[in-house]
Amino acid sequence: MSEIIATGELIERLLRGEFICRTTFEDGWRALKSPATLDKVENYLNQINRTVAQAAEGEVFFAGYVNLGDNERKVISAQFREICQSLIPLVEWLVLVQEASGQDAPLSQGAPVRLTELQTRIEDTPAFREQLAKLSQYRLFGSSASSVDGQIKLVFKRLVDLGYLVKPNPEKQIFIATGKLDYLYEVIRFIDETESLSLEAQAETATQRELI
Amino acid sequence: MSNNLHQSGVKLLRLLGRNAELVMDAYLNGSVDEQNLEPAAVNKLTESGILWRPEPNEPLRLSRNVRALLEDGLKDERNRQINANVGSALATIKTIAGHYREARASVDYSAAEAYLADLSEQVYSFTESLRYSVRVLWGRINNEFGYVGSLSAKIRENELAQSQVTDLLNGLEMFEFAELSELAGDIRELRRLLVTSLQETLTNCAQELSVVQSRLLELLGRFRQIQGRTRLLKGWLLFTDLHPEYEVADHVAHKQVPVLFNQAEALLAPAAADVNNIHHEADLMQVVASIRTISREQQALPVAEPSVVEVGATEEFDIPDNPLKQAVEQYFCAVIESGQNQSALDYLSEQGLPWDRESWIFQVIGGFEGLSEEHKQFFALEPLGHEHEIYDGNFIIQDVEIGLR
Repeated sequence: MSEIIATGELIERLLRGEFICRTTFEDGWRALKSPATLDKVENYLNQINRTVAQAAEGEVFFAGYVNLGDNERKVISAQFREICQSLIPLVEWLVLVQEASGQDAPLSQGAPVRLTELQTRIEDTPAFREQLAKLSQYRLFGSSASSVDGQIKLVFKRLVDLGYLVKPNPEKQIFIATGKLDYLYEVIRFIDETESLSLEAQAETATQRELI
Repeated sequence: MSNNLHQSGVKLLRLLGRNAELVMDAYLNGSVDEQNLEPAAVNKLTESGILWRPEPNEPLRLSRNVRALLEDGLKDERNRQINANVGSALATIKTIAGHYREARASVDYSAAEAYLADLSEQVYSFTESLRYSVRVLWGRINNEFGYVGSLSAKIRENELAQSQVTDLLNGLEMFEFAELSELAGDIRELRRLLVTSLQETLTNCAQELSVVQSRLLELLGRFRQIQGRTRLLKGWLLFTDLHPEYEVADHVAHKQVPVLFNQAEALLAPAAADVNNIHHEADLMQVVASIRTISREQQALPVAEPSVVEVGATEEFDIPDNPLKQAVEQYFCAVIESGQNQSALDYLSEQGLPWDRESWIFQVIGGFEGLSEEHKQFFALEPLGHEHEIYDGNFIIQDVEIGLR
């Protein structure tokens, strides 16, 4: 019985378009890591032209299509456009969080963000305040608030809605990054490699120039 | 002589103890600020080799040995010194072993004993330093080079550690146990020191070092991945800044859509409650119990226009009594007047009343039950009827009789 519920929830969440990772749904993620459950879920999804897709070296799972007809292509195109449009705001946000919290690594799955701490740091630094004001006005976030408090709360709320963050305890302002962020890195890397943008090399030369 | 050595050692340690604050300051700051110190104390410390001056105009520093003692004693993670010089240790060990053999051969036992003690010291300190090196490396791996701040510094630290591991492993390769075992010959003490003890330690350390090496590589890979991500993000922002008109190519227009972008549409709505499933009964009951009536419609209604209400004397009105009920009352009165028992149906037909027989009987029973206790006492109601032919205990009332008690 409990197994039915577990895979039931798993399939349900996959069909709802969620990204399953260790942070969002650890039991489900583990279940998908085991070939037996993966087969079971895959068989189920295949009946409705869906398949279990994975990204970021198996860190995230999501539902994809098996066969692509015209309708499916339309859906994929729309989703692709959407993610392309949200790339710049999301990347700006990631860089802001990384710089404001003074960390070496950008947020990735499982990394916690303490909102109040971050907010204080942004409020104390005019450059961060400007960056936040700029990025909160993107259509993805769509904030018209003028205070840091209003902007940052809305941005975080949107990110939770979009599945990039989870808020494990509703009482506490602590957010945890999900595997969807790892997916995002992979998307950028894919674009970088396919279009030969050599983003990393550009960033490298820019940093070296700054150092000089 | 050994008494002398003992005394001067104690003196040195006392000196260290007396200047503990100064030594620790020097350890933490890297150098000593001479201006705040008494020249005599500084001189003493310099003479005993605790402090030294690397260059004429440089400030005084803590000597290497004291530093190493503190690093080891404090388990300071910044300590990245590893003695990878296996070659000289090996040469020393071989030399002393040669001395010992010679002394034994010439039956000079006291010299032989001294050499053996020296040799043990060398072997043990060598194995200890090897173990220590491995421990230091593990320490650095376990806190992921936490003593340096930036990621690129971590990467450089990692590379340093890797080169140290390589040096250590290369050094360990210089040990040839065949040669050592030949040197030890059949002398039991030498064999124990040079072959058994050394070999065991070296094998352990070599194994651990190869694990260390793989962990270091793994860590380096992770650092590089993180660094790659940071660069990727920065590069993306730079690129989009430089090319504001840039648009991502339509990667999904190809015949073969990359797996990454093959994301199905969300399609699932929550399932409906199944009220016929008895397993769910308790849960559903709970859900129903927690429902509160919230009537939003009422709130949404506009407030009615005020209207004038005239307040006058209430008109007199009467609720006319039910004629059936009145007839029943008449029937009761007739019973009182006549003082005779009378059946309800007889009365009905005598008076030629228009009501249905059954409703008449019901009304009579109802009228009797409806009397106040006080009035009820005067009457007795006797049901008239017969038992059901088939089913016991069923009494079919056909008529009732009212009489006075």
